[in-house]
Amino acid sequence: MKAFPVVKIIPLLLLLAAWQAASVLGLLPASVLPPFSDVAVSLGAMLRSGELMANTLASFARAGAGFFIAAIVGVAVGLLMARRRAVERAIEPILLLIYPVPKPAMIPLFMVWLGIGDASKVAVIALACLLPIVIATFNGARGVDPMLIWSAQARGTSERRLLWRVVLPAALPQIAAGVRTAIAIAIIVLVSSEFISSEAGLGYLIFSYGGVGADDAMLAVVIYLAALGFLLDRFYLAGLRRLMSWHAFAH
Amino acid sequence: MPLLTRIVPIALVLAAWELVARTGWVNPNVFPPVTEIVMRWFAMFADGRIYAPLWGTLWRALAGLAAAIAVGVPLGLLMGRVRWAEWFFEPLFSFGFPLPKIALIPLYVSWFGVFSLSKVMLIFTDCLFPMVLFSYHGARGISPMYLWSAQSRGTGRVRMLWRVVLPLSLASIYDGVQVSVVVAVLVAVVSEMVSGGGGLGELMIRSYRYGDVRTAFATLVTISLVGFALFKLAQWLRGSLLHWHVAEA
Repeated sequence: MKAFPVVKIIPLLLLLAAWQAASVLGLLPASVLPPFSDVAVSLGAMLRSGELMANTLASFARAGAGFFIAAIVGVAVGLLMARRRAVERAIEPILLLIYPVPKPAMIPLFMVWLGIGDASKVAVIALACLLPIVIATFNGARGVDPMLIWSAQARGTSERRLLWRVVLPAALPQIAAGVRTAIAIAIIVLVSSEFISSEAGLGYLIFSYGGVGADDAMLAVVIYLAALGFLLDRFYLAGLRRLMSWHAFAH
Repeated sequence: MPLLTRIVPIALVLAAWELVARTGWVNPNVFPPVTEIVMRWFAMFADGRIYAPLWGTLWRALAGLAAAIAVGVPLGLLMGRVRWAEWFFEPLFSFGFPLPKIALIPLYVSWFGVFSLSKVMLIFTDCLFPMVLFSYHGARGISPMYLWSAQSRGTGRVRMLWRVVLPLSLASIYDGVQVSVVVAVLVAVVSEMVSGGGGLGELMIRSYRYGDVRTAFATLVTISLVGFALFKLAQWLRGSLLHWHVAEA
């Protein structure tokens, strides 16, 4: 896990410069792609008016709620599966059954069950995030060096304390990788569900600006969403590095 | 784990589902019994109404995937072997890989129209990232020994890419295909749900609008089976085409 080198931004800047140059030279009609400067101006205006902030909060409330449900349930189920053979036997086949189902395809079903509001979106996001977290936690907890567990047990550590103080910390690097996947999935399912039905959120904003042909505003939100996803991932990795500085895997 | 012990929990869940739906605790039009969903699934094949949407989703997914392979593999191999190509493209593709390409649906509809082309292009775009990155990592990981021995025999650059770099990157490229196949079906279904045009995704949304939960469930089963079958096909192709590969031994 290294910091993002600044040199890597140069190709992106070149691409944006080429876009702007093509627009200014008239090679790229605004009906196909508005100049990057227009998109930047729209982005600034939407940031100032608070429109982006309000819709970001709406989206993040949905994605965050679904993600946290998945994280809590997922880690608990994954740990239990790794420590109790009976739980593994009961749950593993069901996970195998759900695994190949593309979760965004379930959006219409959840809309029947929970309505077209936030509840159905939160439920689909939670379900989509759940599997990578359960699987990562299970693999991480299963892979814990048995010596650590034996030595804790030999000192009379209770099962609950063992889970909290030995198994969970030792499985943390794997869980962290599963959570990172889940964050990326949450954003994809969020945008899909907001495209299909919503009255607020970044997906709604992209869809409604696209629908009225306001391409500069639409692209501004797309770029903003991309930057937000990227920064979220970077902050997550940076936070993880601090949290796990004690861990052998972090070095 | 033996098959039988795996079937028991699934059978229990399905039996509980059937029971809950049959006893009238829940509205069977909202949460229909499993047996009725299975019967609807068979009925949709029997009366043929599943074939047109199934074919629509399948050809879009495969066309987008094929285009992504055709463009992504040469580009990825080039990045793996040519310094400037790596310098320019690698940051763009690793930056773009985790971003939700689905957000581009409205832009693609305005560029390529509301029909199949915009969907195929979106599938192409989404699959391009894994195809490029897996090909790139495959080409980067080649032992220089192979390249030196080919070079010492005077192999040209194009021939080197085609006859040495490509075969030795195939294991990684097939990994990319396995990832992309799943992405292709997912993006096909989501884009059909958002902008219609036939296909299994639109059938899901239409069943929702008509309140036909049985058809929605049966369609979901079909979507999952399509994704699973294509994934297994990619896995099988990898195994049967790569048995000679050094990395497989």
